Amino acid sequence: MDILQLIQSNLLTPIVLFFLFGIIAARIKSDLKIPEAISEFLPIYLLAAIGLHGGIQMRTTGFENMLIPMLVAIGLSLLFTLNHYQILRKLGKFNIFDSYALASTYGAVGAVTFSVGLSFLKNQGVTSEGYLAAVLAVLEPVAFILAIFLTNMAVSKQISTKKQSFTNDSKSDIDVGLNETKIKLSKVLRESVTGKAIVILLGSIVIGYIIGEEGFGPIKFVFDELFTGAIVIFMIEMGIIAGQRLDDIKKVGIFLTSFAIIMPTFNGIIGVVVATLMGLSLGGSVMFGLLLASASFIAAPAVLRNAIPQANPSLYITSALGITFPYNIIVLLPIMFAVASFLHNPEGSIDLFNYSFKDLI
Amino acid sequence: MKLYPVKLLTITCEILAQQNIIDILSKHEITGYTTYEVNGNGSRGLRGQGFKNEKNAKIEIILREEKLQDVVEEVSRTLFANFAIILYVSDVGVLRTEKF
Repeated sequence: MDILQLIQSNLLTPIVLFFLFGIIAARIKSDLKIPEAISEFLPIYLLAAIGLHGGIQMRTTGFENMLIPMLVAIGLSLLFTLNHYQILRKLGKFNIFDSYALASTYGAVGAVTFSVGLSFLKNQGVTSEGYLAAVLAVLEPVAFILAIFLTNMAVSKQISTKKQSFTNDSKSDIDVGLNETKIKLSKVLRESVTGKAIVILLGSIVIGYIIGEEGFGPIKFVFDELFTGAIVIFMIEMGIIAGQRLDDIKKVGIFLTSFAIIMPTFNGIIGVVVATLMGLSLGGSVMFGLLLASASFIAAPAVLRNAIPQANPSLYITSALGITFPYNIIVLLPIMFAVASFLHNPEGSIDLFNYSFKDLI
Repeated sequence: MKLYPVKLLTITCEILAQQNIIDILSKHEITGYTTYEVNGNGSRGLRGQGFKNEKNAKIEIILREEKLQDVVEEVSRTLFANFAIILYVSDVGVLRTEKF
């Protein structure tokens, strides 16, 4: 199967079709809406399922192999965030706040994207390393913390240089800036570590680890077999919200639109390659790539609105949800799968040259 | 029936600014307030669609005039520039003035 075919068959999965359906429903101004309680419940459910799954698998595979991929993921996430910032600030001419907010949105991970990835792999009959759920949890606050730290440093530096032109005694201002950074950072750290996403994810990993495969038996129906169905329902909601924002995409501009497509592709492919080099399985490499490719659109606004209030939220929400998310689940996921299968099995099934040569002969 | 004059401060803002306002209130030792989630339209566009944290909140605070000035000053200084927020003050009468 070549990449195009894979994209095509991925397009006709219920997840993608219901997402597109949600967009259409919003465009024709239907009053279709997933009840609020359900759309709040579903992310919790999805994270619980991901965590349980990860925990159960970690019981069989152990923790030892987890450390290196986790550290590499954190390193790459930080590096990408800095890279995004440079691109947005220098090439995109965004102001410092929007640049940092967008850079961290794209450096952070998306739990919904992760769920879709898991179900995509399930569809392909491929498994992935369970500890990636733990990587998801650890990676969640990393990019935000870096961006908030750098924003506050930049702001306090600006204030101190401004004050310096009036008076030479500017030490106290830097101290004030540093202090504010500390307060904001500790608040963000505390809020994200005790935030519902990380708490439910880590909690279910621990529970999954304790109960193991036998303990999972009785709840398997809810947390395994209903998983893809639950994503489908959530996709209607995501589609509706994305559809309502379609008009905003025009305001996002060509630069950010291409950024929202090119950066995830770049980050994702690097992720797949690095994961393969670290010896992750085929499915694991795809999920590792997806972690780095995904942008956060549920956690990002909650964190950034308070930490970097000067940034325009409609920029980062619209680009992450309206552009990157559909691109990731429709196009990039099959591409990364193809790249990963090629890297894992160069002689294997996906060989574009073979096809074209055969046609020629 | 004797009504005592106090002030009602009403703030409608995006829900993510609600905590900031409550923090300001507690800083000024105001412990009583009422909040509810609302939808609406304004200069920052239709609010209340989509994600929960894109909703608006409405906060009502009854307080004495002495504290009003400081609270309004701090809210406007820290939040007006970056958040969707509307604030207004009205005169109301209460029966038990010692509660405020």
